[in-house]
Amino acid sequence: MEFRPSSAPARSAAISPVTVIVVCAITLSLLGLTVLFSASAPSSSGPFFYLKKQLVGFVLAITACAVVSRMNLDYLRRYAWHIGIGFAVLLLLVLIPPFGKQVNGARRWLNLGVTTLQVSELAKFGLVFCLAHYLALNQTRIADLKRGFLYPLAMIGVFTALILKEPDYGTAALTLAVGLLLLFLAGARWRYILPTLALAVAGFAVLVANNPNRLRRLLAYLDLEGNKTNGTYQLYQSLVAFAVGGGGGVGIGQGRQQINFLPEAHTDFIFPVLGEELGLGFTLAVVALFTTIFIAGMIHLRRAPSLFQFLLTSGALLLICLQAIINIGVVTGLLPTKGMSLPFISAGVSNLLLMGILLGVLINSDRTWGRVTLPSRGLKLGTVAV
Amino acid sequence: MSKGFASNSRIGLLAFGVLLSFGVLGVRLVDLHVFAGPSRLRAASRARSLSFPLPAQRGVITDTLGNKLAMNVPEYQFGVDPQSLRSADEGKWPELAQLLQVPLAEIEETFRRRVRGPARTATGPADESLTIRLNPAGSAAAAAAEPVEEEKLPALAGLPPVEPAAPAAAEPAEIKWAKLGDPVQDFVRDQVMALGIKGVYANETYRRVYPQKQLAAHLIGYVNKGSVPVAGLEAAYDYYLRGLNGWQEGERDGRSREMAQFRSRVVAPRNGYSLRLSLDSVIQQFVEDELQSIATQYQPASATIIVSDARTGFLLALGNYPTFNLNEYNLVPLSEQASMKNIAVTNQLDPGSTFKIVTLSGVINEGLVTSESRFDTSRHTVLIDGKEVPFMEDDHHADGPMSVAQIIAQSSNNGTAQLGLLLKKEGLYAYARAFGFGERTNLGFGGEITGRLNRPETWRGRDFTRIPAGYSVSVTPMQIHFAMGTIASGGLLLQPQVVQEILDPAGKPVFVASTASKRRVLSQSTARTMAQLLMGVASPEGPAKAAAIDGFQVAGKTGTAQKIINKVYSTQNHIGSFSGFFPATDPRVVVTVIVDDAKLPGGKVNYGAAVAVPSFRHVANKLISYLNIRPPGGAPPIGQRLAAVQGGGR
Repeated sequence: MEFRPSSAPARSAAISPVTVIVVCAITLSLLGLTVLFSASAPSSSGPFFYLKKQLVGFVLAITACAVVSRMNLDYLRRYAWHIGIGFAVLLLLVLIPPFGKQVNGARRWLNLGVTTLQVSELAKFGLVFCLAHYLALNQTRIADLKRGFLYPLAMIGVFTALILKEPDYGTAALTLAVGLLLLFLAGARWRYILPTLALAVAGFAVLVANNPNRLRRLLAYLDLEGNKTNGTYQLYQSLVAFAVGGGGGVGIGQGRQQINFLPEAHTDFIFPVLGEELGLGFTLAVVALFTTIFIAGMIHLRRAPSLFQFLLTSGALLLICLQAIINIGVVTGLLPTKGMSLPFISAGVSNLLLMGILLGVLINSDRTWGRVTLPSRGLKLGTVAV
Repeated sequence: MSKGFASNSRIGLLAFGVLLSFGVLGVRLVDLHVFAGPSRLRAASRARSLSFPLPAQRGVITDTLGNKLAMNVPEYQFGVDPQSLRSADEGKWPELAQLLQVPLAEIEETFRRRVRGPARTATGPADESLTIRLNPAGSAAAAAAEPVEEEKLPALAGLPPVEPAAPAAAEPAEIKWAKLGDPVQDFVRDQVMALGIKGVYANETYRRVYPQKQLAAHLIGYVNKGSVPVAGLEAAYDYYLRGLNGWQEGERDGRSREMAQFRSRVVAPRNGYSLRLSLDSVIQQFVEDELQSIATQYQPASATIIVSDARTGFLLALGNYPTFNLNEYNLVPLSEQASMKNIAVTNQLDPGSTFKIVTLSGVINEGLVTSESRFDTSRHTVLIDGKEVPFMEDDHHADGPMSVAQIIAQSSNNGTAQLGLLLKKEGLYAYARAFGFGERTNLGFGGEITGRLNRPETWRGRDFTRIPAGYSVSVTPMQIHFAMGTIASGGLLLQPQVVQEILDPAGKPVFVASTASKRRVLSQSTARTMAQLLMGVASPEGPAKAAAIDGFQVAGKTGTAQKIINKVYSTQNHIGSFSGFFPATDPRVVVTVIVDDAKLPGGKVNYGAAVAVPSFRHVANKLISYLNIRPPGGAPPIGQRLAAVQGGGR
């Protein structure tokens, strides 16, 4: 192959899967802005409050995306531990009053003076980066219990525990799931994974069984109508929104559920608003767009030049897709209600920022993977096993 | 194709899992959008649809001058939305309780109850029908029977009785509004709103008030707290007064607030029509002042004064003693409920001598006598159908045969009975009926009775000598008044009316009452003759000389009837009356005063002249100056008019 400038696409013949992903993300974002405006218009902060905030978020996200897409991520691996420990410290800071801001009984936001930042959103990426780096580094010792399983498991555990402490169960679950899946993809032994899963399930069961309150809350979503005044009001209103939307929706701006029926209609429960206003066609389209992102990502992954790149990109893809799956699962009543925003659509600057970074990683890989067959230019192989 | 970074099977497994999840989400969405729709749609439309009445304002009732006798004032019913209370406001609760005049404990209880109905368990909806009304015992039983979560129990046990919940709220529902105390006036509302307690707010309603309190209470009637018209014109003319409530349909948001942008239908309320009465508050006040002074002076059982326009039959005033304050109808003690009766149409009394105008008019109208015909009143009995029937006693003795003029002027029972015998029983009965006795005057409200006038076939013995003089018949004050009115009007029995106009909400008259007469009873010349004869009664020389008014000719008749106490006519308890009109030759007003069982100083027998006649004069004097009545062919002395204006003339 001949040398190409670094900005040239890896393959000019066909449309790159990453291009497809970017198009999907832009489509979702535009759809999201439209629905967000409608969903947040009745807000007590004014009709444009969240729209403006979201637009600022998009500017930040695009900037982050541009920066990350131009970075030499392999070079950044030198600072993997700095990144990992840094995020862990930030997650700790969030828990300490003057730095962490408490909203609705949870400390998830780091007070930056002018604004607040949901550290756990970015920490997810930090963990993925560290894991990818570590697992790639210890590729040959993957069969080893300690280095191949327990150490990375401990890394996952620390992040998950810190996020749990906030508490933010949804993000913790997502962090845990993505971490374990990376471990799984990296080749961790079944004989370590299966007992761990069994242990986790058992632990979880014990935790829940010992607290009837927790059990009831967990199972409340199974009997929606009966628990309407008792915790599932939000989910009930969410399902009502889908029913009202029907096939064609009631029309953009015509939805009623966001007007004090459905709490958090502009953030975690924005999907039902979309369902009510635009109907089945659009909700399925959203699912299809995320599916497309996933499939395109999987195709793209086949060109991964290294385990680090493979795991990093897989992590990015999983963070997008699993978050979408959990969010839609929650608002459709398939999963217990947990706070989780819908990528590209929900209001929330921190999550947008994360999505910008993840897209940046994907674009970056699309830009750089084409060069993997070239003599190793810029890669410092001394410390990194490929 | 893998470069070996991950095994194909692991990638495949992951991809399978993720794609399966997306697939499940898709299926679930189809299910939610399409198949699970109808029941949730119903729930949504129930939660969103909003329909509330727009209350129409009840029409006002004014007197002939436009003074409001019944009107509506806005007031404010406070309530609380327990869901939106802030604990920061808790310190203001005592102040709120004080302003609304509700015990603090009650306020706290209302504020702390956030859910209506019992907590429903997940086991099923079987108990829904039970939950609409709760009493503490019932809820305790329900709690015992069902596995309710422990933290719900304390809340359940102490529940007060709940107001009936809306049908849709059969299952436990958040309380969005609970009443706080009674409605308050606007200045109290402003004070409460100034407290700034979040979740406490007021709805505007209208309350019926009667600004003149007891004035014309028996005519106006009242609307009770449940907005049901109960008595008087309020009840009789409810159809016109009540108006038509409108309603508004639309949608509400999750906090039960109306969303004006989705308002689907507004049916504006149509306010009620207003009544303008022929009643004159000023005259009504004259009448009630007079009744009050009768009451203080004589402590009668009851008293009635009726004033009507002689030419049209419209009532200018109608007052009864005892009376009550319309605004406090609900505070009238049980023992004084009689004060709420319009005794002018519900009291049944023996008219006594005032009834003699019937007998006299009859014989003159039939041409059987002239005013100069003379009758021997010295006999004590008369032979009727072969039986000796005694005349009623008279307390005066004539020297010789009495003329008809003397009979009426002296109110001779003996002479009137002889006149009645000339008419024969059928004739007398027919005239009594023609004058309106034995039938309702059709005032139209107040539970009017017909009185009692037996058919001539049933007359026996003393009836023949008593009925012509106003005994053995029962009449209402209203009947007496309009019988006298027949002579004043020139022989026509007029229809008593009190509603002069009905006005639509814009103030345009939709109905204007006109003079209505029921029948011609007497020829005009008979009526003129009767007026002349009755002038003798109230002349300075007549028995009712106290009714005489300087510069005016007054026609009228006194009446004194013994009351039937324990089935016999009492010599101690009398009903005194005077019914008359003036000016006699061109009548403007008819005034009737009836006093039941006045207690005269020294136990004197209460003849009509003693109590009713002076009252007639007091009222008449005020009417003359207020209505600017002039005697035909001359003005009344200035000094007298001034005295009447100043409330003097007694």
